[in-house]
Amino acid sequence: MPPFLSEEVKKMKKNKAMIVGFILPCALTLLVMYLYPVLRTILMSFFAIDSVTADVGTWSFNGFGNYARIFGSATFLTSLSNMLKIWLVGGILVLTIALLFAVILTSGIRFKKFFRAAIYLPNVISAVALATMWIQYIYNQDYGLLNSMLEMVGLEGVKWLGTDTKFWAMLAAFVFGAVGYYMLIFISGIERIPQDLYEAATIDGANKFHQFFRITLPLLKGIIKTNLTFWSINTITFFLWSKMFSPISSEASTIVPVVYLYDTVFGSTGNAERDAGAGAAVGVVLAIFVGIIYLITSKFLKDDDLEF
Amino acid sequence: MRKKEKIVYKEKVNWRRELSLLPGYLIVSIWVLFTAVFLVWILAASLSTSREIFSGSVFKFETGLHFENYATAWKTQNVSVFFANSLLYAVVSCFFVILISAPAAYVLSRFGFKGSKQIRGGLILAMSIPEVMIVLPIFSLTTQWGIKGRILLILLYIFLRVPYTTTYLLNFFATLSKTYEEAAAIDGCPPGKTFWVIMLPLVQPAIVTVTIFNFLSVWNEFFMALIFASSADMTPVGVGLLQIVNSMKYTGNYGGLFAAVVIVFLPTFLLYIFLSEKIIAGVTGGGIKG
Repeated sequence: MPPFLSEEVKKMKKNKAMIVGFILPCALTLLVMYLYPVLRTILMSFFAIDSVTADVGTWSFNGFGNYARIFGSATFLTSLSNMLKIWLVGGILVLTIALLFAVILTSGIRFKKFFRAAIYLPNVISAVALATMWIQYIYNQDYGLLNSMLEMVGLEGVKWLGTDTKFWAMLAAFVFGAVGYYMLIFISGIERIPQDLYEAATIDGANKFHQFFRITLPLLKGIIKTNLTFWSINTITFFLWSKMFSPISSEASTIVPVVYLYDTVFGSTGNAERDAGAGAAVGVVLAIFVGIIYLITSKFLKDDDLEF
Repeated sequence: MRKKEKIVYKEKVNWRRELSLLPGYLIVSIWVLFTAVFLVWILAASLSTSREIFSGSVFKFETGLHFENYATAWKTQNVSVFFANSLLYAVVSCFFVILISAPAAYVLSRFGFKGSKQIRGGLILAMSIPEVMIVLPIFSLTTQWGIKGRILLILLYIFLRVPYTTTYLLNFFATLSKTYEEAAAIDGCPPGKTFWVIMLPLVQPAIVTVTIFNFLSVWNEFFMALIFASSADMTPVGVGLLQIVNSMKYTGNYGGLFAAVVIVFLPTFLLYIFLSEKIIAGVTGGGIKG
């Protein structure tokens, strides 16, 4: 064997040892933290299991019984319908406001960086703190911002966190916090549209609105798709805001699937009955939703993303 | 479409143009003003008594500034414990995530080996799997194996951040030139050492950015903490704040509550004040395809 070849082989062996050593912790993380738990959750969803810590030996096969149970539960159906409302109404609000802000901030206004940073701010502070501020300040019946503003114009204060308005109060607070993130993604998309397209359009006499609907919007298709995917997944895993607005016991007005899952698995006030199998089934249903969304956005919204 | 250079104009204040932008200024200003009023009021309330808060005279400070609200929140409402826990979780997990992810990202981006495609795909898949799909088995296994306390949450936070961090760093390692490794190899530097001494420092900016995101994410984490923080002494700030809110109807100390809120959001807020450019660039730079 010529000497240089054995050098090569030695080097490759050295590389191999390094590759294995470097990738192993990451690969193990995937197996232990994701692959195994996901498979086990799927398995659990087909068994009757009362406590989440119950030994595998005590599981009894239940077929689609858990799925039948959750889809027969009025609470779960309510939580699904709340989720759908958040997705639709919240989605329209968040994406419209985010797009509006993105267009404004890229229209050449001054202090762009400041506005951008200030609008994104709610995304970096603890959502629990943010929700607490909304609940304890903005919506407070006695001294809250909304009611003091109503009083200023001579109107009667409203009980914002009453059953009728609670859902919308929660949604408004959530929308306020979420806008900044989607705005940033829209901005990055708009900034990738070549400036000369707009210049040409201006010379041809197209006004700002025409430019928006004929240039910006069509070229943002890929970005809108990205945002839509993120928004959908964000809605499916919606939990924190619902928990904050009904902290002690879940209420029909704000319950969402993840809260339902939490209550089913870990119990809730006044309900000691636990069902880990049904909880797993909720998890699987939500994961299927996420899968469907990825499928839809990658299949049906053809990927004609910005490529300059 | 062809690649075209962006033309940037430097111009003087053009008042006609500014006027046409007025509606835009108004809209974003109102939004930002609302945010500002919101935060300033909370800050003022955290320095007021409960009585002042309820009578709507928060900004008058008639009885002076009540810094003792912070002392109360810090000591009697356990915020010091929550705060120390969150800091511990965030710092320790940020460190170990890089220790796991950076080497993995390096070999994934520079060496084609059997299974590398599957691992890359697995990382992306892991990022899109809802946490509810993994918590139940993790809960039962960790109970079975007797893993509990702070170490449990640290482990969870490390593992939860690995897919995102590795994927983020992948792209940065891919942009580095092969000549670094070749030069190091000629000088007789073993490949493992080449990584730690030469390659890792080269992606330092990316590591800083991703660590900021990991820190924010762990500091603000709620779902896992709610499930796995079984006792008060391992509770991080998010869940701790929820507990303070829930006990409010017994304590009635609104000044203390708002002080706790300020303590919880201040660290990430300050981080943002200094690093907002980096954070904003990171949001649209790394994790997002499209």
